[in-house]
Amino acid sequence: MCGIAGVIYKDKKTHPVGEALTSMLESLQHRGPDSAGYAIYGSLDFPENYYQLNIEVKRRRGALDNLKSLLNQISPIFEEQLIESVGDSDVYKCKIALDEFSLLKPCINEIDDLENVRVINGSHSFEMIKDTGKVKDIAERFNVSSRMGTHGIGHTRFATESGVDRYHAHPYQSYIIPDITVVHNGQITNYWKIRDPLERKGHTFESFNDTECIVHYMADKLDQGYKLEEALDQAVIDLDGPFSILVGTPNGIGIAKDKLGLRPGVMVETDEIFAVASEEMALHDVTDSDEIEQIAPGETRAYTI
Amino acid sequence: MKEYVIDANGMDEKELNRTIKEQAKYHDKLIIDNPDSKHNICAGLTEEVEIEINGSAGYFVGTMAHGPRIHITGNAGWFAGDNMTEGELVIEGTAGDGAGQGIYGGTVIVKGNVGSRTGEIMKGGTVIIGGNSGFMTGLLMMGGKLIILGDVTEDVGESIMRGTIFVLGNVKSLGKNAVMEETTSEDQNELQEILTEYGFKLADKDYANFKKIVNMQ
Repeated sequence: MCGIAGVIYKDKKTHPVGEALTSMLESLQHRGPDSAGYAIYGSLDFPENYYQLNIEVKRRRGALDNLKSLLNQISPIFEEQLIESVGDSDVYKCKIALDEFSLLKPCINEIDDLENVRVINGSHSFEMIKDTGKVKDIAERFNVSSRMGTHGIGHTRFATESGVDRYHAHPYQSYIIPDITVVHNGQITNYWKIRDPLERKGHTFESFNDTECIVHYMADKLDQGYKLEEALDQAVIDLDGPFSILVGTPNGIGIAKDKLGLRPGVMVETDEIFAVASEEMALHDVTDSDEIEQIAPGETRAYTI
Repeated sequence: MKEYVIDANGMDEKELNRTIKEQAKYHDKLIIDNPDSKHNICAGLTEEVEIEINGSAGYFVGTMAHGPRIHITGNAGWFAGDNMTEGELVIEGTAGDGAGQGIYGGTVIVKGNVGSRTGEIMKGGTVIIGGNSGFMTGLLMMGGKLIILGDVTEDVGESIMRGTIFVLGNVKSLGKNAVMEETTSEDQNELQEILTEYGFKLADKDYANFKKIVNMQ
């Protein structure tokens, strides 16, 4: 069991997405106590080819210095912040510039080769915040309520496979295309059948987590020219198992439910917003509308701005 | 009539249910404000009390209830009225999957649309859906009456053993073990009686248009 939530504001202006998602995820806290995360789009107003890196840094002598020294060889560090977290590590956030998007993943790989550091994500148009613990604590730790944005997705995790750590918290991101994220409630039972062809195409996997498989699958489809709705429709055909998948892109969000409807999902659309969540109580946090719809088994819904 | 208002704002579901059970002993009607789609509201409630839920309920509203008459002004989540044995659950809005699943008795009414597997494994009682119902409506049904006024999608009555499904709208397909029959005049009279009792206004000619779905044996 996990909780998923997403909201997009139709006027394309920035709104307190961090606050909205936090209240939605707090309503879904009972669905997943392990960890939680957000992808808040429109919150970074970066010039072209500037990226934000979130990096887990262990509290070991020299770890942060080594990281900064490597980063300075790649790009000047424009902004930086060290956020105290739980366990034996903190989160280092910084802004760098690269010549083009294709250099982002190699840059992440190079940083990952260092000892005692691991890149959580790198993004241009959205901010990724994910950590272990309760929604309320994570929201306070990273000051999520102050984040403005046009749309976003979020997740509370009840781990049913792979580790419980910051890296395995959702959202997951793929670097096949820029700034695509996925949160997911469920299991993909034909995992290898989906993963093998993607690996043969040269896409690299970092874990055995099925949500990572979904985000690469979705990114690959969008890279082939599928629209978000079309990629979600294809996902319902190709993916087996119980799932509700919520996808975030720089200009939209979309949800797909498995053919048997074995994972929950409800949505609401008003003149102002389009929002989806695992349970209705989360939608009441962002709208007074009673026009809440069940997403049918095998149904997909998306909204792009 | 002795009424009591419970403001559920800030209560967790256990606290809310404890309050409902306690106050149901002393009052004829409980009004629950700010239910905020909490799960399991009125779970296991056995008092013959009237409950007005002002808003929406989450999963398993009225599960294992025996006696109360529950009215929800908003929507309900999955498995509304699950395993109910006696009483009434009326939902003005929509409901999720498995509405009325496994009921032994009483009546579950959803005025709007519902998700899939409506009335799954129900053994008795009556489930009435004012709108449409999703796939495998009446899955593994073992008794009771399931009445759908709107359309139903695939596999209606999948593996049905006993009980009857009546559908006024379109049926996309029947499940294994299910067969469609003509309604008898007794069926039509009974449908009219039940639906009139619960305030559904149909034209007289509509009662002859119900499709009856039962086990093929």
